[in-house]
Amino acid sequence: MKKRYGLVIDLERCTGCRACTVACKIEKGMELGTGIRVETIGGTKQDTPRGTYPELSMCFLPIACMHCEQPPCRDACPTQAIYQRPDGIVLIDEKQCNGCQECLTACPYQAFVYDEDKAVVRKCDLCFERLEQGYEPFCSVCCGFGAIFFGNLGDPRSTVSQLVSRHDAYTLKPELATGPAIHYLPVKDPRRL
Amino acid sequence: MPVERPVKKKRGEKAVRTASPFACGPACGLQACVKDGVLVRVEPGDFPGTGHICARGLAYPKLVYHPDRLKYPLKRLGSRGEGRWQRISWDEALDTIAARFKEIGANYGGSSLAFVMDMMGILSVDVLLGFVGACQGTFVLPAGCGDSAGVCGDRVCYGSPWWYGEDYTTRFDKPALCVVWGSNPVDTDFFKWRKIRDAKEGGARLVVIDPRFTATASKADVYVPIRPGTDTALALGMMNVVLDQQLHDVPFILDHTVGPFLVRRDSGMFLREKDFVSGGSEKYVVWDTWSNAPRCHDVPNISPALTGSYKIGTLECRPAFQLLKEMVAQFPPERTSEITGVSADVITRLAVAYARTRPAASYRGMGCQRTFHGDITFHAINTLAAITGNISFEGHATFELNHIAFLARGVPNLLPLMQLYDAVRIGKPSPVKSLWIARHNPVNQDPNFNKMISEILPCLEFIVVTDMFMTTSAQYADIILPVCSFFECTDLIFPVGNGSHNYLQLQQKVIEPLCESKSDIEIITSLVSRMGIEGFLKESPEELITLLLASGHPSMEGTTLERLRQGPVLPASQSLPHFSTPSGRLEFYTERLKQFGQELPIYLEPLEGQGSPLAKKYPLILLTTHTKYRTHSAFANVAWLREMDPEPALEMSPADAKPRAIKDGDLVRAYNDRGEVRLRARVHQGMRPGVINISQGWSPGDYVAGTHQALTHETINAVHQAIYEPNASLYDVLVDVEAVKEP
Repeated sequence: MKKRYGLVIDLERCTGCRACTVACKIEKGMELGTGIRVETIGGTKQDTPRGTYPELSMCFLPIACMHCEQPPCRDACPTQAIYQRPDGIVLIDEKQCNGCQECLTACPYQAFVYDEDKAVVRKCDLCFERLEQGYEPFCSVCCGFGAIFFGNLGDPRSTVSQLVSRHDAYTLKPELATGPAIHYLPVKDPRRL
Repeated sequence: MPVERPVKKKRGEKAVRTASPFACGPACGLQACVKDGVLVRVEPGDFPGTGHICARGLAYPKLVYHPDRLKYPLKRLGSRGEGRWQRISWDEALDTIAARFKEIGANYGGSSLAFVMDMMGILSVDVLLGFVGACQGTFVLPAGCGDSAGVCGDRVCYGSPWWYGEDYTTRFDKPALCVVWGSNPVDTDFFKWRKIRDAKEGGARLVVIDPRFTATASKADVYVPIRPGTDTALALGMMNVVLDQQLHDVPFILDHTVGPFLVRRDSGMFLREKDFVSGGSEKYVVWDTWSNAPRCHDVPNISPALTGSYKIGTLECRPAFQLLKEMVAQFPPERTSEITGVSADVITRLAVAYARTRPAASYRGMGCQRTFHGDITFHAINTLAAITGNISFEGHATFELNHIAFLARGVPNLLPLMQLYDAVRIGKPSPVKSLWIARHNPVNQDPNFNKMISEILPCLEFIVVTDMFMTTSAQYADIILPVCSFFECTDLIFPVGNGSHNYLQLQQKVIEPLCESKSDIEIITSLVSRMGIEGFLKESPEELITLLLASGHPSMEGTTLERLRQGPVLPASQSLPHFSTPSGRLEFYTERLKQFGQELPIYLEPLEGQGSPLAKKYPLILLTTHTKYRTHSAFANVAWLREMDPEPALEMSPADAKPRAIKDGDLVRAYNDRGEVRLRARVHQGMRPGVINISQGWSPGDYVAGTHQALTHETINAVHQAIYEPNASLYDVLVDVEAVKEP
């Protein structure tokens, strides 16, 4: 069975606490920028709702590298620094990266950040080094509300596969046919009293 | 035994379980990963079943190794607040402090030496208390910095044996309805939110009552947008519907509340047997509908009346429930709607759901008790819970520590924080001439900044600050002592028990103190002998913890230092003594507040309400709420968090911004008679029109000018003083806002 590592993020559980963002900074040693950012689906500014008071809504959308099946970044990279492992994880070979940032433009999910000090691009690598030692990605460990599930999407019995099939799961920008390995579970509709 | 979450240890790393004493309430357990004596990473430390950490918790190493940490003791040069400092040795610092303390103590008495603290483990608190007691000094109780009004309401109703009575309205196995009153646990109390989230995933509906559309409100099934300071009226309006539709829980009211107890019309006091039987007892009396006669409440085979009016001899009496009913009758949904801004339909539906959906849990946050009459808000919410039987007696527990052992050399005078102002300024109730500020930041976090700077601090002859950073308060110190972070010393972390969790945890020393910093415990114990106190607090922190655990109380059985090293521990005894009120019942009617006319949870307008004359001049209500990006003023200097929340913002509704010609991002000024603050406007729909918010914790240096605390006030509510401690009414503040020119 082919391995396909990925995440399922439950937006009903996500509170926008941004523990994942800081966890990523720690694990990947990023002083500024992060491999996982949390966008607010609401008003134009972070942590604000949309609508008109008091008929409002707001939710949070953590976005990391989607580890696409067809990664546009890989195709855009002139130095072949971006490659995909057999388990689906898309990685950057920092030695090959010339800092041209073509990938920043190519990625439909704005998953890359440019590290000015090292003059290379960086992004989520699904904590592949932790995985090799049997530990989950650090964002998933630190998520205070259990919103980030990690697992093998290639195994139909895995928790992530079951969540993807059981719920109304979706991926971002499916029209681009990139085949993201991050799936989202939508927020639930409010119920009447 | 705790379930260990696998911590990924890189080569040469070890993971130590410790706990955070930071004043955000929950006291999270942490796994501290250390390599070569350096704290490299913090991971969630497990409580059985759950692991919690937040962005701030993960950022701790950035706080520990922050370049701005205070490295050695400092002595002030020049005038206070000028910012000129000289490095001194610990010996010079401690000798100077001891000499000044002796001098001031000799001139004004020991009680003129005041000590205020925050954000520390319970051992640090007990050591400080012991030292202050030995000096006959004054210990400043810090709860009045915004958190003590709700305690008053709870003490009235429950006689809570500990801080908050939150467990009574939340500790249900599976709540079917969760009502969050004036708080944002999603951002500020993760343990509480996890419980609500679990209940919601189990099918419970969630109602969030808040003037702001918070992250918690975004998770609600029903968001109830309320005018600040009117939660009491909403609770009364809900009770009106409950009683009108006969949805109240008669057996619960009869068995567990003072509802059936007769109240004398002449005095407002409960009728006692001795009032009408010569030689009778102090027992409370009910009207028995079977015998049509007054009976002591504990007589068997009676059917007490909850309503009506009865003549006993010459005394006219009514059951307390009848009095509640009469008061609540004044709050039909329409009138309640006018006061609260919540529609009559929502009030009615909420009330019916709250009474019918059992059990319904009430999570009362600090927000709704930060108005001048915030104590009554808790009193009212508790009353609503009581008359609908939504009160839990399950699984309450707390630890009884051996605090008394630390008071062997004397008991400190206790002074509520809000009374410190007058104690310093005019010597009332007794003069305070020096202030020791331990990990607290009163100049930044306590109300009325301009008064603090111009009228309070100058009256202090001596100010010592112990902190990790040059806080706003430290800037006004005479001597600053660098304290170490909680990773650098051992302590005991006591559960706040405010509906979060009840685990006792060990704060284990993980790394050596940085630079010349010392723990609060070491600082105090080094002062003890210098003050001429011999043979006191000589033990090591571990020995002192063992002493603290040895209370002999059943709750402490099996709780040892060794067991705490393994992980968090729950109290041995799990049952809560029944209500510790004078009557032993839930007192929604209290004799203690008859003198204030607040024996029932009446609705009173906020001190600076939108109905007050002041509102003509200053029409906007200012809130200064807590945020996920800081814990009070701590973490504001951490770049990782600052990246996500870079600068202070004044949040306001477009409905208030437009008539003032304010656009999002404009520089604005919020002002009232006490002061002003200048910062950028953040205009968005999540704010209720008429209400503005500046999330607290920012320091004057973060603003373009002024500070939010220049707008707040320290007005004392005598009711709080009578029951517990006066509270800072931080959300009971009127201001106006105007656009200002760019500097």
